[in-house]
This record gives sequence, structure tokens and C-alpha cells, in this order.
Amino acid sequence: MLIDNPLNSELAFPILECFHIVGFAIAIGSIALVDFRLLGFGLRRQNPADLFKETGLWVVIGLSTSIFAGLLLYSTDPDKYYLSWFFVVKMICLILAIVFNYTLHRKVILPGASQDKGILVACVSLALWVSVIVGGMLVSFYA
Amino acid sequence: MIPFAIWMQNVPLFEAVRDSLYGYPIILTLHLTFISLFGAMVLATDFRLLGWGLRKHSISDIVNQLRVPKWIGLALVVTCGILILGAKAEEYFYNIFFQIKITLLALVAVHALVFRGSVYSKAAEMDKMPEPPARAKLAAALSLLLWICIACAGRAIGYIYPPAGSHHYAAQLFMKPPF
Repeated sequence: MLIDNPLNSELAFPILECFHIVGFAIAIGSIALVDFRLLGFGLRRQNPADLFKETGLWVVIGLSTSIFAGLLLYSTDPDKYYLSWFFVVKMICLILAIVFNYTLHRKVILPGASQDKGILVACVSLALWVSVIVGGMLVSFYA
Repeated sequence: MIPFAIWMQNVPLFEAVRDSLYGYPIILTLHLTFISLFGAMVLATDFRLLGWGLRKHSISDIVNQLRVPKWIGLALVVTCGILILGAKAEEYFYNIFFQIKITLLALVAVHALVFRGSVYSKAAEMDKMPEPPARAKLAAALSLLLWICIACAGRAIGYIYPPAGSHHYAAQLFMKPPF
């Protein structure tokens, strides 16, 4: 027997979307604070390594909220998302962005890396996260 | 307000946004991207004032260095917002969540007027205190609450259908501004 997904209620979807949006704004914005610092904008008097560590918790909380809400949103109509190329591309970008954030990004920011690499890494990081947002909009408009 | 809205959506720039295939989604994407950037700067400032984060750095360091970037971020968010609004102005003015969002934005302006002098421009004085004063914490908590509500109201706008009869682009009749 098919059981109706309780998340299909009229209010559940918009409320989950709010968590999704606020979550990613906190996570991606916090990463961007560090990236802009690497590019020489914003909190220039702070050390990037310090900023990276201190915003680490915000990123984790924002990402978990966003991903958890995202999974619930996905569950309301899995076929629609699963079959959409935009969704697949968004997921690939998301995984790349997360992996990049905790590997190369982290390594370059922590002490001892050169300035040039910092700029390159900041650009890649910003590009990856923006591509996730673009992917999300494509899913919502065209999936 | 409705005659103004109808005039607004017939301005060529907004007409172009509405009629272009990709204009609207692209601007919405930029709106969200800039919200992330701006939102994190608000978060950093407010969390520092609340003592929830960035505690190793002085309040004045965080508040003063982010002042100009925050204005730039807000300007970018608002520019995209106005383009989105203008494209379908009439629909938005009927929309209860749009009305709520505008009201909340007006409250942000009130918040700035109330707390700018006593909190944000006194960052250097707060550096000398062991803990930020209650007024600063109140300002930060209200700011976080307002911005989260604005983001949620913004999302909710998309769920309200325009009333029947709106959306009449009577361009010839309404090309002149109503004032």
C-alpha cells in the first residue's frame, strides 16, 4: 500500500525551503568570509587560519541544516529530482565543494601556504559554492 | 500603490527582465548568492556582539571592517531584489508575504536608526568592556531575527498566486508615472 508522504502537506515544503535557504546562506557565506579574506577583502586584519577555524562550526551547522532540509525536500518527489540532470549536476558540485573545502581549501589556509595559492583556492572555492546555488535555482525552475 | 506598480512593471528595464527567458532565474540566482555573502557578514557581526563567535577578535575589528562590505552586499541584494520586483510589480504588491517583507525591511531601517549611535558606532568602547553590553546583544539578536524572517518571507512570496485580473500590462494607458 502506498502511504502518503506527510511532507507533502501544504506548509511543509515552504518551511523546509526556509531552513534550506537560511542554512546554505550561513554555510556558504561563512566560507565566503574566509575566501574574501584570502582575496584581500573584508576582515583583512584577521588571520585566515583563525577565521577558518572560528567559522568552522557555523559552516557545519549551516550545511547540516541545509542538507537535512534538502533531503526532506528531495523525499517529497524523488523521481522528479532523480531524473533531472540539473539535480545531478548540483549534487556533483555540492560534493566537490564540500570535499574541496575540507581538503585543499583547508590545507592552503592553515599556516605555511603561499599567498598566490590562497587567491587561487579562494576563487575555486567561491566558484564551486556559487555553482551549487546556480544548480539549486536551475532545479527549482526547470526540474 | 497599484497604479505605481503597474507603471513600474512597464518601465522598459523591468519589461526586459520579465520578457527575457533567462533574466529572471539569473537575477534570482544572483539575489540568493548575494544573500549568502551579506547574510554571513550580518551573522559574523551579530555573533561577535552576542559573544557567540569570533571571540578572539575585538568587536571593533569585526564591526568596523565589515561595515563597508556589508553596505556593498546589501546594495547588491537590493539591486537584484528591485529587478525581480519590477518585473512583476503588480503581483508583488498584492502579495501578503511581499507586504510582510517590506514591513520587516522598514523595521531594519528603524533598527539601524535606534542602534547605530548606541551600539555600532561605539565598537571601540565596547572593546574595553569584558562583555558586550545588554543593548548591543539586544541589537544583535533583533538583527538576526529580522534578517531570518526577511529571508523566510522572501521565499514565501513565491507561494501566493496573484489575484485574477492582475497582471494587465496596459502599457499605453499607464506609461506615464502616476505622480
